[in-house]
Amino acid sequence: MSADFIQLLVGGILLGGIYGLAAFGLSITFGVLNILNLAHGEFLMLGSLLSYGIFVGLGINPFIAAILVMPVFMLLGLGFYLLLLKPIMDKPPHQLLVASILVTLGASLFIEDVTAFFWERPVTGISYSLPPMELAGVVISSTRLLILFFIFALACGMQLYLKKTYVGKSIRAIVQGREGAKVVGIPISRVSALAFSIGMALAASAGAFYVTLFTVTPVMGIPLTIKYLCVVVLGGLGSIVGSVFGGLILGVAETLTAYYCGAEWSPTIAFILLILILIIKPEGLFGAKK
Amino acid sequence: MRPFFECREISKTFGGIEALTHVDLKVEPNTITGVIGPNGAGKTTLFNIISGALLPTAGEVIFKGKKISGMGPARVCRLGIARTYQLVRPFNSLSAIENVLIGLGFGRARPMAKRDRLAEALRILRMVGLENKMNHVAEGLTLVEKKHLEIARALATAPELLLLDEVVSGLNPTEVTRIIETIQQIRKSGITIIMIEHILKVVMALCERVVVLNYGVQIAAGTPEEVVRNEAVIEAYIGRFEDTEERPDA
Amino acid sequence: MNRRRKKLFLLVVLLLCAILAALPWLGFSYGVVWIFLLAVYFTLALSYDIVGGYMGYMNLGHSTFFGLGAYTTAILLNQGFNLFAALFAALLLAAVFAAVVSYPLFRLRGAYFALATFGLISLIEVLTVNLRDLTGGSGGISTPPGNHMVPSYYLVLAVAGGTMVLSHFVARSKFGLALFSIREDEEVAKAFGVPTTLYKGLALVISSAPASLVGGIYVWNMTYISPNSVFGLEIALSPIIMAMLGGTGIMIGPLVGAVFITLVQEFLWTKVPYFHLAMYGTVLVLIGLFMPGGIVRTRWVKPVVQWLGLGEAVDYFKNGDVERIP
Repeated sequence: MSADFIQLLVGGILLGGIYGLAAFGLSITFGVLNILNLAHGEFLMLGSLLSYGIFVGLGINPFIAAILVMPVFMLLGLGFYLLLLKPIMDKPPHQLLVASILVTLGASLFIEDVTAFFWERPVTGISYSLPPMELAGVVISSTRLLILFFIFALACGMQLYLKKTYVGKSIRAIVQGREGAKVVGIPISRVSALAFSIGMALAASAGAFYVTLFTVTPVMGIPLTIKYLCVVVLGGLGSIVGSVFGGLILGVAETLTAYYCGAEWSPTIAFILLILILIIKPEGLFGAKK
Repeated sequence: MRPFFECREISKTFGGIEALTHVDLKVEPNTITGVIGPNGAGKTTLFNIISGALLPTAGEVIFKGKKISGMGPARVCRLGIARTYQLVRPFNSLSAIENVLIGLGFGRARPMAKRDRLAEALRILRMVGLENKMNHVAEGLTLVEKKHLEIARALATAPELLLLDEVVSGLNPTEVTRIIETIQQIRKSGITIIMIEHILKVVMALCERVVVLNYGVQIAAGTPEEVVRNEAVIEAYIGRFEDTEERPDA
Repeated sequence: MNRRRKKLFLLVVLLLCAILAALPWLGFSYGVVWIFLLAVYFTLALSYDIVGGYMGYMNLGHSTFFGLGAYTTAILLNQGFNLFAALFAALLLAAVFAAVVSYPLFRLRGAYFALATFGLISLIEVLTVNLRDLTGGSGGISTPPGNHMVPSYYLVLAVAGGTMVLSHFVARSKFGLALFSIREDEEVAKAFGVPTTLYKGLALVISSAPASLVGGIYVWNMTYISPNSVFGLEIALSPIIMAMLGGTGIMIGPLVGAVFITLVQEFLWTKVPYFHLAMYGTVLVLIGLFMPGGIVRTRWVKPVVQWLGLGEAVDYFKNGDVERIP
């Protein structure tokens, strides 16, 4: 395997990790609230911008920034939830669907437009790097490795949280069965708010990593959310672990496509993968067949 | 002599849980069979398998000599099996008559002019006593009316076998009497009925034969009188009689 | 009373039609353009609503049909085909496309479907930009010049009228009833024999027809389109906002919404050159939070609609027992 290919692979895995992290948050949100948040990509974008601002303004390295943005976005997420989602949560399923699409799509457009107004130029990657490492004769950027490690740690941390803590278990309970969770006395509304905030925080921290490697523009939100959709469907609706794997696959596919076919084709690969998995295995790689 | 309807050794596992284990059920035409058992015994799962919504992990469902387990719900419906749902699921924002029209138009559709279809739908609504509410939106109907609407919708598919899933739950004594009458009328018209029920009084009044499930296993079968005296059945129900399910006579 | 009411209503409608027909000769050239665009958006909104409102699957990618229709027509016009041949081809292409994508996309439900269809637009846009030799790439494509404003005005009104007829008859038909049942409870509909997979695809194909036609008429009139003008956010979202604002799932809804939004745009767009998307977004949020049923289902407007005898189609954002006018 050529060194170039390995670099591509690493890059792809990295991108995939970022996608997976954000999609992880989206999965949790969807599992708990039964609402697909079309504004999810916007939060990654905002997280990127905030991260960048912290880096440029305060000189803090991106890894710390990734951690710092999380509480900020948990609060923002909470606000978003209380203002826009809580009022519609109790509607019957079809109305909930329509209302949630309207509200989250509307929020997306609003965030995008306002951000574009105040932040016109695209934000290029943060130039922060550690000395590169050599592994088996291949030069790998240690920044990238570190980011990968961080994402992995974050994802593991989330999994542990979900498995071990009371709150985490409540979240899983609601995902598995809303009525049952209610009967057992879990405060659905509060846990929903928390789950949503966590989802946002994850998206934002994914954004912090994103901006160290790629360019961020205000209009990337919606295409990004569509990519998350592809990731979630790839991995399997309802499987949180699946979305991480879906993310990895997409990341690698996108990076390879960009290199071999040209950058203008890479946005389409997500959609092509989506169509393919819908045709071949609609329940996703890790999803359960009915 | 091929059986009218039979479940052979039906088993269903969900993940690690065995919802049904080797359930057998034989139903003669033009009878009312009851399926009873405590909550969680697997009764609705059995119905889901019969109606084609679920695949059994093992076993077969035979209807009029044909193996129907594995066919989807639409095909099963076209073969002559219709059902109602434990938690009522009418087409909420459609009117009562439109709900019935769906059953008429798609269940075992015979080509009919629109006017004839409307007349037929009205006739079915009349059978369940809903003809005055024909243009009312389903969501606004009372619970007993919704249950009758579900029955009407199922009847519209001209079924030979009707699956009723806990039609009586949530109704007050007058409503219970009303729905019992409806069910008896249905049986008189030649339709075979399998009904899941909690309330023993209703089962005793309507069913010729009863099958008892507990934790997915069939623990008794026979006439209602036999079953009620069965020790295993009594044991399964001890402690569950505390619920308000045991209702006084109307 | 009822008959007199209907006669009055019919009279008003006829009067409106007469005015519309006569408009080009009355010297309001700006009005003609304005109505032309209104009719385009209205047709898109109404055809969207067949799948989005009647069937309950929000096809956010509806404008893909518009764009495909426009580009197909443009390419064929440039090859020398006459308008009707080009429009016919556009119709066919969009229909086939709808049939093909319905197979994977309808495996998704709800918000997933909505998002995926939205992604479809960007896929087709990228393809359009990259197939430079065929489509002219990001620079757009021009068709043979000429002033076609008046004939395209009449054409688009005809298509709009035809779409209203189509929508009306679908809502009254057995097929339409089946679509409603899919929206209400797809699983139960299937259990009662409704051929859901077939009907979903059919509905999408039917909805693609008006969209692709107005796309073709649009490019014939404008003589120039670019990927952004036919696949952009504005053309994608405006019809849907109109349908949702006016009232989804009911034929009169998109009409009300289209008129409303075009009027507002008229006054607002020129005064406030920024934040158009943000305003759209705010409208969407407000509709979602306070009136997902749209204008025609609000407390004040609904009685008027029912009084007019247009309370047909679905009354599904109401609560309580309403006697539904068949």
